[in-house]
Amino acid sequence: MTSAIVQPDVVSVRGQTDAARRPVLEARNVNVSRSNALVIEDASFTIYQGDYVGIVGPNGGGKTTLLMALLGVLPRDSGEVRLFGEPLERFRDWHLVAYVSQDAISFDADFPLSVRELVALGMANRGNLTRRLTGADWRVVDDMLGEVGMADLADDRIGHLSGGQKQRMFVAKALVRDPKILFLDEPVAGVDAVTQEKFYKMLNDLNIARGITICTVSHDLAAVFCRMSKVMCVNRLVNVSDVRDIDEPGEFLKKAYGEHFHFVFHRHECGGVFGSDRPVAP
Amino acid sequence: MCSAVTDLSLLDIPRLLGFQFFQYALLGGVIAAFACAWVGLFLILRKEAMLGDGVAHTSFGGIALGLLLGISPILVALVVSILAVIGIHIMRTKGLARSDSAIAVMLATGFSAGLIIISLAGGFSVELFSYLFGSILTIDMSDLVIVTVLGLVTLGFLGVFYKEMLSITFDEGAAKLSGIPVETLAISFDVLVATTIVLSIKVVGIVLVVALLVLPGLSALQLNLSFKGTAAAAVCFGTVSMVLGIILSAVYDVATSGVIVFMAAGIFGVVAVYKRLG
Repeated sequence: MTSAIVQPDVVSVRGQTDAARRPVLEARNVNVSRSNALVIEDASFTIYQGDYVGIVGPNGGGKTTLLMALLGVLPRDSGEVRLFGEPLERFRDWHLVAYVSQDAISFDADFPLSVRELVALGMANRGNLTRRLTGADWRVVDDMLGEVGMADLADDRIGHLSGGQKQRMFVAKALVRDPKILFLDEPVAGVDAVTQEKFYKMLNDLNIARGITICTVSHDLAAVFCRMSKVMCVNRLVNVSDVRDIDEPGEFLKKAYGEHFHFVFHRHECGGVFGSDRPVAP
Repeated sequence: MCSAVTDLSLLDIPRLLGFQFFQYALLGGVIAAFACAWVGLFLILRKEAMLGDGVAHTSFGGIALGLLLGISPILVALVVSILAVIGIHIMRTKGLARSDSAIAVMLATGFSAGLIIISLAGGFSVELFSYLFGSILTIDMSDLVIVTVLGLVTLGFLGVFYKEMLSITFDEGAAKLSGIPVETLAISFDVLVATTIVLSIKVVGIVLVVALLVLPGLSALQLNLSFKGTAAAAVCFGTVSMVLGIILSAVYDVATSGVIVFMAAGIFGVVAVYKRLG
């Protein structure tokens, strides 16, 4: 495995070096416990504006726990988290942060909401309590539906959508208030490979077109190494690397998955399986 | 008052509409129907329909206390109902009881308190029955003012916090992550349920108020509409049941609350059959 992980030569913040970009998420010596067991140990890393981060690791390794701690939902034992330079405890600009949960798509299928209405709920946040949605807000909702390829489904009931459409809808809901960082927890669980690929491509396009920072938990390791700019391995210890710096993904992943883990990855996979939008090394 | 309009036929409806008591009844009834349909839809979607029944029965204690003390039974019932929803909320959040058990405990406590107070006061009175089974054709201006104010508070709250209430009803966890004050809104909504129930006691009575809360929303949910469409349909079904119920009960001189609820149940049946056959 040599130069399989070649990033596209696009003009975006993602193409710049870390030093040239603004840090949006910083963790310093973060420890998190659940039920008195240490789940995340001494995590220190920085995510920069425009990064597209794949969070990988075995089940039970602490990926969701880490996300919840970074979002301030779970308390930390120690350590510091900063969002957009501000310590988490003092951070107030929550409209800049969006999150799509692991079980977002397993909602009550009989809930009476149209796709458009659900996406509009993404507008509701601490900063605009009591404010009624305006015509401009609804235009943003419709534009966002167009961006995720669901404009023609806007008036359908949410329970009538397929798994892949539901994921797109929740991404639209998360993005509708124009956040600068998007967290997704296993967004493609339970859908087929083609739908997964389309989904990761959509995230890729949003990442490049909008410069939005994306951190997504993923079990699709090939997608992580083809599409994303950084990989975060989580198995109690947290290790973040630029995919361009990883010559041997299989060896790198053993840190998280254990010595018995084998990940065979060939560069032609990015050109073949993952379409032609990403240039591969000669 | 009702004797003035006995032996009527449907042709007398225009004349009936000229009576002030009838106008009060229609106005109060429509306000209650609006508030109940809106609150009821959220209650159903939050899977808390039985909270309505529990709080209604708990308010019986407040009605009895008000009658015993000679102060407005509706206002005492309002205080008791609000205390009841807060009690249920505390039992739930402190892990003392699950939702359905907490409601059962509060229902039994409030209703038994009412029975003790009534026996101390010397037994059931006609007035007490009017609160148990409703007496919309006898509402006066002061009742109408209370119903209107409580109705406006309810509709105003849901109007102002529409998107937030919908957010916490659809996905409480996601709403919390967006910084929406889920706990505050949830307890405020429960207080609103108490308010809506109390304003409806004069209309359909303690025993049947849950029907006015649940049936319009359930009928509307059969139609598979958007949320806006569902809410509009629920309000429409509630209002139609109310107006038809009041008019038909006056014309045929039968229990108003019974006819209102029967109309709502009838609409539910028709919509359900239409959807299954359609």
